[in-house]
Parts: sequence; C-alpha cells; structure tokens
Amino acid sequence: MSLQAWVRRTRTPEPAPVEREVIVIEPMDLLDAEISDDPEASPVLCCTGESAGASAFNALWLKRIAGSGRHAAAVSVRGQGNTPAAPGGPDACAHDVVQAATGLPRQAVLVGHGRGAAWAALAAARYPAAALVLVAPRQMPKQPPKPVGAPRVLLAVGEADAQSKATQAVAGAYGVAPLTFAGDAAGVFTGPGAEGLLDAILSWLGNRD
Amino acid sequence: MQEYSSQAAYDRGEAVCVIGAGAAGLIAVKNLRENGFEVDCYERDTVLGGLWNPENQHSPLYPNTHLVTSRSQTEIPDFPMPDDWPDYPSSVQMLDYLKRYAAHFGLAEHIWYGSEISHIEPVEGSRFEVVVKPAAGSAARRLRYGAVIIATGHHWAPNLPSYPGQDLFGGTVLHSSRLGDGSRLRGKKVLVVGSGNSGVDIACEAAVNAASCVHSVRRGYWHLPKYLGGEPSDYALARLRRRPRWLRGLLVDRLLKGPRALADRMGITPPDHGHADEEPVRNGRYLEHVGDGAIDRRPEIARFEGGEVFFTDGTATRPDVVVFATGYRPQIACCPPKLLGIEGEDPYPRLHARMFSPHVETLAVAGLVEPGVGTLPIMHWQTHAIAHWLHIRKGDPERAVNFRQQVVAESAQYAVESTGVSSRHRLAVDAEEYLAGLGRIIDTLEQEPAQ
Repeated sequence: MSLQAWVRRTRTPEPAPVEREVIVIEPMDLLDAEISDDPEASPVLCCTGESAGASAFNALWLKRIAGSGRHAAAVSVRGQGNTPAAPGGPDACAHDVVQAATGLPRQAVLVGHGRGAAWAALAAARYPAAALVLVAPRQMPKQPPKPVGAPRVLLAVGEADAQSKATQAVAGAYGVAPLTFAGDAAGVFTGPGAEGLLDAILSWLGNRD
Repeated sequence: MQEYSSQAAYDRGEAVCVIGAGAAGLIAVKNLRENGFEVDCYERDTVLGGLWNPENQHSPLYPNTHLVTSRSQTEIPDFPMPDDWPDYPSSVQMLDYLKRYAAHFGLAEHIWYGSEISHIEPVEGSRFEVVVKPAAGSAARRLRYGAVIIATGHHWAPNLPSYPGQDLFGGTVLHSSRLGDGSRLRGKKVLVVGSGNSGVDIACEAAVNAASCVHSVRRGYWHLPKYLGGEPSDYALARLRRRPRWLRGLLVDRLLKGPRALADRMGITPPDHGHADEEPVRNGRYLEHVGDGAIDRRPEIARFEGGEVFFTDGTATRPDVVVFATGYRPQIACCPPKLLGIEGEDPYPRLHARMFSPHVETLAVAGLVEPGVGTLPIMHWQTHAIAHWLHIRKGDPERAVNFRQQVVAESAQYAVESTGVSSRHRLAVDAEEYLAGLGRIIDTLEQEPAQ
C-alpha cells in the first residue's frame, strides 16, 4: 500500500464494525493421527462472493486445507452467512477480510473466490499476505492495487474463462500465467473439479522457494 | 575498545542490527524481513513492547495511560487494530496489539533479550561493528552487520528541572516515569509540574485520587478534547486536510472555537503557535477538573523553601509529593554522537529526513520524531523507506552511491525544521509536511527500476 493510499484511508470514515463469522478448522480438529500441524506453514483465510459466505468452504475446502497441516479459516463479510449486513462496498468487504486476517495467529494466505477475489486483492494491498490466491475472480478492480510485501500470486480460472479478456487483464496485472481447472466457477466447492483444484492450490502453496 | 581487540568479531554478513524491541524496533524488524534481510534485534530488557510494557523495568507508563491519538490514526498501516476496540485504546491494549503484531509476523525469533548494545562503530565498507554488553560472567560479544537501525525511542532519560532549594525539600520528588501504579498519590497533597499530555493526565488522576492537586504550568498549550464534532479530534482535524486551504482554515476555526473559549475561561494563556505546530494536549477531562476546582492551576515554580513551594506569582503550596511531568531528553548512548549529527552540548540529533545518519549511509534511527499524530504509522513509513533504501543499496552498491545523493538531497529538501517552541519539543514536526516528505522519498526509492 502506498503512503498516499494510507493517508487517504485515514481521512475517510472507517466502515462500521460488524461481528464477523469466522469458521476455523485447525489440523488438530480433524482428530487424525496422521495429520500434524505444520508450524512453519502459513494459515489460509478464504472468502467467497457467494451469499453463503464462510460456510461455503465448510463442506470440502477447510477440512482439506487443515489436512495439509495448515490452520484453515473462512470469513463471511458483511451481509454474508451469519455476519450481519452493514453499509459499505468492496472496500468495506476488504476491511472485513483484513480484520479476519489480522485475527489469525500468523501471517495468512488470502484465498478469494468470485467477487471475494476482488476483496482479497484489495485486502492484500493493505495487509502483507503470505500469498494471494484468486479463484475465478469476478468484478476485479480495473487496476488491481499492488499487493504489499510482494506475495506470490496464483490465478486459477475455469476452462471456459481461460482465454477471456477479464482473465488476461488480471493475469497481466499480476504478471502471472493463469492456472486452469476443470469445470466452471460455480463448481469450485462441490463440482467434480473441486478436489483437483484444491490439490493444485495446496501444492502451489507447498512449493516454498 | 582495548579490551575487545583480542577477540575477532563474528561476521553476520549483510544482516541488519536493530537496537530496541519496542514499537519502532518491532516494526523495523518486520519491514526489514519483508525486504529479505536477516535481522538481529537487541533488547536490553527481557520483554518486548518497550515503553508500553509495564514489565519493562524502565517503563515510563503512568497510572491509567491511554493513547492520546485515536485508533484509526495510530494503528500500524498494514496491521490494523481490531475494529471493535475503543477509539482510544489503553496501554494494556496497546501492549496486546504489539505482542500480536510480533507473533503474527514471527518477530520474536529474531529478538535477543537482555542484550544491551554498549557500542557501535563504523568499519570498512560502510559496515558496523556492534558490541553487545556482556551479561554477568560472560565476555562481551562483537558482531559485524551490514547496517544498524537504532530504535531505542526517546522516553527513557527523564528531563528533570532543578529549582532553587529543591535539594532541601522534605517531601517526595519524582519524575512521572517513576509514578508506577499511582498509589503514591492516594490521599496526598500533590503538586504536578508540566503541562504536556503526561502532566495533564497525571493532574486528572490526582484530581480524583489525591487529597488535593496543584498544577504548575509554565506556558500555554493547545487543549483539545478527545472528541470534536462527534468524531475523535485527530480524525476530525485530519479529515479537514482534504479541503482546500482557504476553507480548511475556516472549518478548523469553527471546530476549535468551543475548546478555545473553554480554555480561555479556565485562564489558560493562548499559545503563540498553531495547533499543529507541536503535540497539543488531548484530554477532555482536564478543563472540567479545573472548572470544578479539583485542579488548582498555578504558574511556574520560583523556588522550594523548607516544605513549601513558591510560584512566580508569589503564592505558595505545601505538597507531600511533587511529580515532574517534564518529559524526556533523547539519549542514544551506544552511538558516537558525531554519527547522528550531534554537536557540542546540544543533545538533539540532526538527521537527514529525521532518520538517516548524515555521515554513514548504513545507519538510521527510527521513531525519533514527535509528529503530533499517532507515531506507529510514522515509524512504519520510516522503516519502510529505510528497508527499501538498504535493499536497493544491497542490490547495486555502485548505483546506490548516486542514488544516495538523490535521497540525501530529497531528505535535505524535506528536512522539516522543528516547529516546537520549548526546548523539550525539538523533536516536533508537522505531520502533514513530514509525511509528504516521507512519501516523496519512498516514491523515489520505488520508482527506481529493479534491474
């Protein structure tokens, strides 16, 4: 985040605080003797643009992330899931993501899905994420702000969107090549391609330099 | 340095040495790590958090210390405080916040506790030799670093005035930093000296807990309540900076009219400087305590005489306890004064842009300003700039020489003259100008091509 952006932000009203729903699954919670908590691995914080919010990640994502030894969390921003609605646009939602991230024990990987990818991208400009993962992003800002702390960025899109203009714009802005997964944006939580996508993300996260 | 000469220094390569694990030190470590540096942070005490940690044996916290700047203006820019915290968090929350910051970014593993730096010395190649004061029974350690960042703060060496007859005074005389939990005030007749933020806060504490409270003030300050127009006052004033200059003046005047009239009524001499020129006093309760007679305001002390204290207006009081809330002097004992631009008797460093040593390009000081706004963001942007500068320097030392000249010129251009009026306010800068200067320096550093 640039100093100028910070100055602007301190001179505009803060979004109204809301009591956010954060669902957390730690490796210990899985009660599986084979899975051990990896203290070196960054926690993962997920958000989605779908109205279910954090609970969308409950069925598959959180357990699988925790299964890889990471602290797994998902947040419902204002108006999603069990988080009460409050006024505010994408900036306020990004605020919710940053607040959830700073509440985690260690520097977190931000995973955003759909419109949540746009919020994660905004959040990564205010908070030094350990890595930024954008899954099938929608309504991304035209000029995504530069992430602070130079995190690695992963862009994952469905096969159908691989060649779309929007995808190319995002890929160009971050200087990354998109990873394509089978299926479409709607199927990332339960569809047939969901597990493959998750494994690809986790293995990308695991490739620490 | 004779006694160390037989022992070779352990070379830490390009690692950076950070001195102090208070707010400035922690932020420096985090920003250096983010730029890929190895960091060793030395803390003389056994805990982190610096002045915010009451377990620090030198902690200057006084009873019931709260932030005087509001949360949104004080939090670290890339690690905001929880948004359900109050507008003005307490020192307990502040310490909790710093601990969480340290844990979140894994800073603790880079901190060496109980290690005071006794001396730093530039050696060839703009590197530094650092001498760690020996713990009981062991030898002094010498290490070499690529750079040193001094983050020891400026709230450690009490500034104590001395008045005629003070030595013979029978009651207790202490500096605000030694007040501890405030039980020493309970039921006593208290004289508080000094009208800065700590003096005013302690006078309010004494107004409630002590038998009586006399407050000796030497000069006028701006008295701001903690809220203006329904918003935290620093936020309300900062927000007006977005307005055009001519309108801003009018709006600020309108916002400050009420507090100004109240200060007048309580007999506070109008200060002869603008409200942003030095740290204003931010306390909404003080003027009300003056108004209900719990605080008795007097002018400067003239002399102590037996058990009595006489003021310049001829009145006297007979206090049990005298609290000097007279601030601190900057003191950086481990560094040769010349490197910080300290000359003669004057203890105040002269640094480029208030952070870079004028003589050695790998020495910087973080947090040695009083910007009149929250200091954590200032420390963040300072150390952000320092870390970027060291990073560029490491990448291409040759190009950095030219680049340094540019940064120095930039710094000199924005070497904001202190606006502070009294000698204790020599660290004061105008936050707006200083931040703009920092922004320019950071932009210059970041615009440089990466190749």
